[in-house]
Amino acid sequence: MHKQLEVLQGTLHMLILKAISLSPLQGYGILLRIQPMSKERLEIPQGSFYPALYRLEHHGWIESEWGESENRRRARFCRLTAAGKRRLQSESKRWNQMTAVIAGILQATPEEL
Amino acid sequence: MNLWARFRSWTAAMLRRTRMEREMDQEMRFHIEAHAADLVRRGVPQQEALRQARLEFGGMETTKEECRDAVGVSFLETLMQDVRHGVRTLLRTPVFTVITVVVLALGIGGNTAIFSVVDAVLLRPLAYRDSGRLVTILMNGEGPVSVANYIDWRDQSHSFAAMGAADYWSPNLTGVDSPEHVVGLKVTQGLLPMLGIEPLLGRLFVEGENKDGAEREVILSYRLWQRRFSGDRNVLGKPIVLDGNAYVVVGVMPQGFQFAPFWATRAELWVPDAFGARIHNRGGNSLRVFGRLKEGVSLTQARAEMSEITGQLEQQYPGTNRNVVVTPLKERVVGQIETPLLVLLGAVAFVLLITCANVAHMLLARAAARQKEVAVRAALGARRERIIRQFLTESLLLGGLGGAAGLGLAALATRALIAMSPASIPRVQTVTIDLRAALFLFSATILTSVGFGLAPALQASSINVNDALKEGGRNNSEGIGRSRLRSLLVISEFALALMLLIGAGLMIRTFAALQTVDGGFNPHNVISMVVSVAGSREADPARRAIFYHQLIERVRSLPGVQAAGAINHLPLAGDLWGWPFVIEGRPKPRPGESPGAVYRMVTPGYFEAMRLPLIRGRYVSEADNVTAPGVVIINERSAKEYWPSEDPIGKQISFDDDKASPPTWLTIIGVAKDAKQGDWRATPSPEVYLAAFQNHDFLGDSGSDVASHVSYITLVARTAGDPAAVAPTVKQAAWSFDRNLAISEVVTMDGVVADANAQPRFEMRLLTIFAAVALVLSTVGIYGVISYSASRRTHEIGVRVSLGATRGDVLLLVVRQAMWLALAGSVAGIVGALLLSRLMTKLLYGVQPTDPATFVAVATGLGLVAMLACYIPARRATRIDPVAALRCE
Repeated sequence: MHKQLEVLQGTLHMLILKAISLSPLQGYGILLRIQPMSKERLEIPQGSFYPALYRLEHHGWIESEWGESENRRRARFCRLTAAGKRRLQSESKRWNQMTAVIAGILQATPEEL
Repeated sequence: MNLWARFRSWTAAMLRRTRMEREMDQEMRFHIEAHAADLVRRGVPQQEALRQARLEFGGMETTKEECRDAVGVSFLETLMQDVRHGVRTLLRTPVFTVITVVVLALGIGGNTAIFSVVDAVLLRPLAYRDSGRLVTILMNGEGPVSVANYIDWRDQSHSFAAMGAADYWSPNLTGVDSPEHVVGLKVTQGLLPMLGIEPLLGRLFVEGENKDGAEREVILSYRLWQRRFSGDRNVLGKPIVLDGNAYVVVGVMPQGFQFAPFWATRAELWVPDAFGARIHNRGGNSLRVFGRLKEGVSLTQARAEMSEITGQLEQQYPGTNRNVVVTPLKERVVGQIETPLLVLLGAVAFVLLITCANVAHMLLARAAARQKEVAVRAALGARRERIIRQFLTESLLLGGLGGAAGLGLAALATRALIAMSPASIPRVQTVTIDLRAALFLFSATILTSVGFGLAPALQASSINVNDALKEGGRNNSEGIGRSRLRSLLVISEFALALMLLIGAGLMIRTFAALQTVDGGFNPHNVISMVVSVAGSREADPARRAIFYHQLIERVRSLPGVQAAGAINHLPLAGDLWGWPFVIEGRPKPRPGESPGAVYRMVTPGYFEAMRLPLIRGRYVSEADNVTAPGVVIINERSAKEYWPSEDPIGKQISFDDDKASPPTWLTIIGVAKDAKQGDWRATPSPEVYLAAFQNHDFLGDSGSDVASHVSYITLVARTAGDPAAVAPTVKQAAWSFDRNLAISEVVTMDGVVADANAQPRFEMRLLTIFAAVALVLSTVGIYGVISYSASRRTHEIGVRVSLGATRGDVLLLVVRQAMWLALAGSVAGIVGALLLSRLMTKLLYGVQPTDPATFVAVATGLGLVAMLACYIPARRATRIDPVAALRCE
């Protein structure tokens, strides 16, 4: 098994938004979805996961309601709001730009200077 | 919308606190259980799965706390928790709490009271429109100028939007139930409009009006209007009688209006001054000139212009226009009191610093005792910030209580300050605890709370959990850093207290020096009052001399009166009215260089009543009347100044400035001891005493302008017993001649001398109070530190005693520690005092700011107090039973 990577500072919000954008999920389900999406290579600290969830809701990017889970227990399901959708778009765009720029720098060779 | 969403989530969270808590709990439990179920599915045993799931999730309470933080509920929540906890902690130690709150109330309340005085007196602009542009233009900074001179300035200058002048005038108000001597001003018509204050009723004077022969007009102050006319709005257009002439009331100024603000401050009415014949007068300097700078003209520009104008005028009229100064009006009003008030503000700030240090080390000692509590909290996962926050909340709680009590104290203190403040502090009547003072109090409270709470909070939160819990809360050797901090606090307290005590000591010495100043006369058992004839039958020149004679005779015959006489202006309390003269047989002096003297007129009996001794010659007698040759008594200073190497007796001088007729010579018949004139601290200037009954101005038949200035006498009577008790009889004696006589300024000479020293007394009293508070606080401080550290050293002392240390050794051990603190504090305090006492120079008299005697006395005294303070804990330490001390470990 590959060594697991820690989530980069500040990217947890984006990952959660992305996970929820596919379909409404409840807390534990979000974690379960991110893991396979990362091919099991991302380690999400469970302690900071819930505060992040509450913060997203506080910002109005997700909203939640209580429903029944698969095993018929009451659980809180989170759904992306319109603002959340915009946020996800802008964050992914920013992320892509950033990785492109950084990758460019890292691939620089002496000849290009 | 984002903000709105946040607000909604926050309010929802606040409103549905319990529901949120429940849901959070449910959600996390669900998470752990779901995770455990997954693990079971992967083959982990049930028990182990649950444990692993919990472990992976981490601290549930910490996570919840972070969630609460995320939605922002936890700030208020934590605050409420901390406040509740703080209140419980404070209630558990009521004595500590009460002492701390009282100490803080003293510090904060005292500061607020002094601040409110400084604010009202120094900081606020004067109560005129755009008052920052108002200036005074005076000779030598405060001296008046002549009418013709003022007119030249007004016509030649371009820096001023307006210029006006005022002349002191204190007429008799008659024609109403009881006659009254009131203070007023004759002003140029443009002066009041220049101030930009609208009258409450009626109108101000109109420029160009009130030419000679026109109707005389008067504007009343709010107080006079209330007092004499019961606030009757129909007063406009009514006539009032001033010095026997009818004036029509044209306006009433609003409540609180005061003009002039630095001299004639008690003026209650204003009349227009048309100058009349005085328009060409360059001799009599009596006008105070005021100006409003034009927009865009700076003070420097105005000064430059005025110095050019006065330079030309001085060439044109030698002896005039020297040293003319343009001063901002506010500076003229508060300039004298600025230093004393700032010194007091500094002193009271020191008291607050001492308070902070004191409370800080009380809290430090408490924090040490609470180590176990903190350790338990830290072990349960409280972060350092959280503990600091808890301690600061407690400090703020204490500070808040202190501030609230301080507010009450400040309200009382300002009232006391107003009551005890000398008349020399302008605007002090307007001091109140208002919004600004409340804001000051609030910030002082917050700063103080953080000031005294931060060190204990940092210290308490920095403990090592393991050690603290292991040792079971008993720590026999205190950390070096901790005890050093506490020592530092005591040393600074001690140093600050020393500086305050030195300040107070210097003021006490100043005051003592002022008490030993010889005023020249004997002020005990002397009553005086101003009796004014203006507007009464006795004003008639034909009657005046007879009336004065008879009045003085009658007063002499009153029971309890030993001697009586009269003078135009009482020393210290009255005007300083100077006049140039020429000396017979000497060359005519150059203009502006003539000898001059403070000009007094006395009746026979004045010197005897005041016990003002003669050095040589004789007193004025009944024989020195209108028909006899003119006589004059001079003071010692005049003799030294003008006849340094000859005997002045028999020499002749003249005050006539009329060049046409031959001068009236006055022969010097005596030299009197110097009497204080205006300022108790100042060396008296040359002074002359003319025989009143030879003086036509005084008798009212000179026909000159001066006559209106002397339509009154100041009666002086020496009594056998309490002078104030004789005052009513003297008044009745005067009124038995004429009920229309206005009698005012009934004062004892002792009172006059006390008033002359009111400001240093005020400064001394306040500084002494502050120093006393500082002394008590620092004594308590040093006692607290020594007894605390002695109790921490019980074990060590036990070991020492069992190894053969005597009681004396133990006593020395404890006392030595205290002495080191006191010594360090003294050195720091003396250095500080040497640096700072210079700022007090203006307040001192007869003592240097670095007076060694005061420094040594205060340092020694404070050292002794420190020794006493540590004696009790030291004695206690000597009684330590080594067996018990060692066993209790």
